[in-house]
Amino acid sequence: MSTLSLHGGRVIDPTNGIDGQPRDILVRDGRIVDALDGPADEHIDITGCVVMAGGIDLHTHIGGGKVNLARLLLPEDHRNGANAIARPDNPLELASCGTCTPGTLHTGYRYAEMGYTSAFEPAMVAANARHAHMEMGDVPILDHGAYVMLGNDELFLELLAGCRSEGDYAQIRDYVAWTIHATKAMGVKVVNPGGISAFKFNQRKLDVDEGHVHWGVTPRRVVHTLTRALRELGVPHPLHIHGSNLGVAGNIESTLQTIDALEGLPAHLTHIQFHAYGREGPKKFSSAALQLAEAVNANPNVSIDVGQIMFGQTVTASGDTMRQHANSDLANPRKWIGSDIECDAGCGVVPFRYREQSYVNALQWAIGLEIFLLVNDPWRVVLTTDHPNGGPFTSYPHLIRLLTDRSFRNEQLARLHPDIAANSALGQITRELSLYEIAIMTRAAPARLLGLKERGHLGAGAAADIAVYREQADHEAMFTTPEYVFKDGTLVARAGRITAVPTGGTHYVEPGYDSTIEKTLRRHAQRHASVAYDNLVIGHDELCRCCNGGRLLPTACFDAAKEGST
Amino acid sequence: MAPPAPTASIPAPGWTCPYCPLLCDSLQMPAPDAAGLRPLGTDCPRALRALADLAPAASPSALVNGQPVPLGTALAAAAQVLRNSRQPLFAGLGSDVAAQRVLVGLAQHTGAVCDAINGRAFFDAVRALQDRGAYNTTLAEVRNRADLIVCFGGSPRARLPEIWRRLGLGDDLVAARHVVFIGGDADALAELHGLNGITAEALALQGDLFDTAALLAAAVAGRPAPAPLQALAQALQAASYAVIMWEGGQLPLHGGLIIETLNRVVALLNRKTRAAALPLGGGDGAATANQVQTWLTGLPLRSRTAAAGIEHEPLCFDGQALLADSAVDALLWLQAFDGHAVPPATPGLPRIVIGPAAMAARLPAQDGTDVFIAVATPGIGSDGHLFRTDGVVLMPLHQVADQGLPTPAGVVRQLHEQLRALP
Repeated sequence: MSTLSLHGGRVIDPTNGIDGQPRDILVRDGRIVDALDGPADEHIDITGCVVMAGGIDLHTHIGGGKVNLARLLLPEDHRNGANAIARPDNPLELASCGTCTPGTLHTGYRYAEMGYTSAFEPAMVAANARHAHMEMGDVPILDHGAYVMLGNDELFLELLAGCRSEGDYAQIRDYVAWTIHATKAMGVKVVNPGGISAFKFNQRKLDVDEGHVHWGVTPRRVVHTLTRALRELGVPHPLHIHGSNLGVAGNIESTLQTIDALEGLPAHLTHIQFHAYGREGPKKFSSAALQLAEAVNANPNVSIDVGQIMFGQTVTASGDTMRQHANSDLANPRKWIGSDIECDAGCGVVPFRYREQSYVNALQWAIGLEIFLLVNDPWRVVLTTDHPNGGPFTSYPHLIRLLTDRSFRNEQLARLHPDIAANSALGQITRELSLYEIAIMTRAAPARLLGLKERGHLGAGAAADIAVYREQADHEAMFTTPEYVFKDGTLVARAGRITAVPTGGTHYVEPGYDSTIEKTLRRHAQRHASVAYDNLVIGHDELCRCCNGGRLLPTACFDAAKEGST
Repeated sequence: MAPPAPTASIPAPGWTCPYCPLLCDSLQMPAPDAAGLRPLGTDCPRALRALADLAPAASPSALVNGQPVPLGTALAAAAQVLRNSRQPLFAGLGSDVAAQRVLVGLAQHTGAVCDAINGRAFFDAVRALQDRGAYNTTLAEVRNRADLIVCFGGSPRARLPEIWRRLGLGDDLVAARHVVFIGGDADALAELHGLNGITAEALALQGDLFDTAALLAAAVAGRPAPAPLQALAQALQAASYAVIMWEGGQLPLHGGLIIETLNRVVALLNRKTRAAALPLGGGDGAATANQVQTWLTGLPLRSRTAAAGIEHEPLCFDGQALLADSAVDALLWLQAFDGHAVPPATPGLPRIVIGPAAMAARLPAQDGTDVFIAVATPGIGSDGHLFRTDGVVLMPLHQVADQGLPTPAGVVRQLHEQLRALP
């Protein structure tokens, strides 16, 4: 048994309604407790510090096929000009590097140093699930999980095209549950609903109410069906939606139609900044942040993460082959990788450099910040850059400063393309997010949206994932280097230096399904797949091996019937 | 006494064949009988040859300078080789994810350069990808979608005997498919004879492979080219889903130039219609080693961790050249699949070989310190994971026999522990 006491800090724990009150945090055997039986084994004075739960990133591309392709495509991200990037002087760290496409080891070390203790890979291809779990297992320290992609696999589209009855629909729902089971996923993501498949049939655009050229189904139907299935299966994280027409001027229309397709059911709209564009103004490209925020404010079933862009070099890694192909001429450096995958999904990896002097890029930057500041309810907004698509996760402290410090924000705005200030509401927005709101957006809200009852807060019974930040006016400095970071009660980082490298656990859900679906799936696999049916399911023992022996962390599903229809 | 021969009524466990990058898995492997392992569901000559090569149980499991020794003695000698080395080379790299995960740590500890088996061909492909990118496809996409398949450089069937079945040629998922062989063996057409819905033709090279690729790219871009390639360009533009495939390992030196050109053909086609590439290769663990090294450190093979950091030198860190130039002072050769894939002769160079038991007798003569450690083959004597040729599907391998040998991952881990314990 080991115990720990953190004394003298101000606690910010939105889940438990605590906003900066001084109180001790007590830990026994990796869990937070109300009281200890005797003096703590270790007592740390953290006077002058703010204490929060460990950060949770619910949308960050940390591992799997497209991430590794991005690393392979960009050796220049792992060099310092002609020289090697200096290796760590810490014997606990193996050499690993990269900024927008870091190695998994580097990813784990840098997230932990920043006070994050969990990260979720949002785009696991079912056919690539073992690989994704292997990479996540090699992200040290952090707990992890992944959302499996559905809605572009030919079987789903075929079943949906032939769906005429509740019985047909039930089969789709069982297939969704089986896919989550087979791939050991934490949720389901849909990417450009139907569009990745449509691109394989040479369709170049797919609006929300437009038919897939082969299957005839619309994105609206794909979204609604998956949303309903997850709700009925009791999967805590609702459908994770990368909507139609990513990056296209005027795509706010698609985004509002997608919200409409939910018919009030819960869903999470991801990297929403890329989906909030109008076509007003001199460049026919404008901010639709206000319209988006109004829709989010008016639809309590909707949560979002922002996908803020940051200026500089990055790489966009996405399942959306249709849109990535369309943008591939903008690749910088000029090279890109695409792939059609197993009648299941796709991937596109396009390097990109966001430039302050580009009207479009600068407006994208402003739109992201507008969204953060215009949506009223922080419990439905998660802080992300869609790492690495909008920028690397290491830019979070800078983003926090932009959100909490208006004068700093306006200084940055003044450096941009001169037309931005005139065409963006950002300069007029006076709101500065509080540390309480930042704590919601970076830990409490993602935990709630994922159904993680023991994470994202500091109440008794929670896992002792804790970040201790030295209070200072410069929030970028404050959030870059926490004084102490604990993972399950173990000190993993001290003032920017890794102190322990435990293996993280794997979060997943196991919704129930009618096993008669397995006959259909076996038949389909024999006819269409390139992997034998019996090799499609990742068992618990195999998952353990993939994840380097980390703990398995099943999250309970809820009983949809008891929770009512909203 | 040999166990009874399996009968058809008793289902045998599933088997994923680890011996080529197609990783066929609709197979079953009954318990071994007196003749060894005999799979059901395939007569693939490559698989049968490899299974027949699994050594009899009497083979020594560890040797130092040709003398049988206990595993611990061999590990101690191997650790001393690495301890004494200032610049080791880790090559062969034929193993599963588990072994490569631990090998990365050992390579960083020793500052070893790591290179794949057949590293020149492998890195021609990697460099083409690093320079220009690619648009690729996978086995199931080809099976369900491809109506035109171009085999650049000829048929891959000699190395990948199950290729046509794995691509679905002859099944009814695509009503009519056309296969075009460019270059290669003249009798490739016979391989497809009689398959349902398949038409095939063979095109002669227009010059060499480099010239032919360049002329095909010109034809697809609408520039002048010889008539057969003009006709092929039109067929590519008219296809619903055209696939261009090649074997990197069969391309000539500087084959990356051909790969880059074929990727450009695919990119040109994708502006109006749909096409994708299917590079074939990465077997014997090469693709797996590269994937794992890349995800852990951020950089692919042909890298080393030096005092300054991780150096990635796709030209300088050519294992074959480093051996030829005597630029390394120790070799660790890991190849757990192909018992014939022995390291090149390196007289006088301290050498550690980790491989199938049958490899021991085939090793080139050596007069430096010479350590051999036999390991179980992942997919035979242990479970494991390997990447398939398309680089997307990570296949699970299943243990189907007790080889009585440690796993490659276990040996690498113990070797690292012994090295750490040395003063």
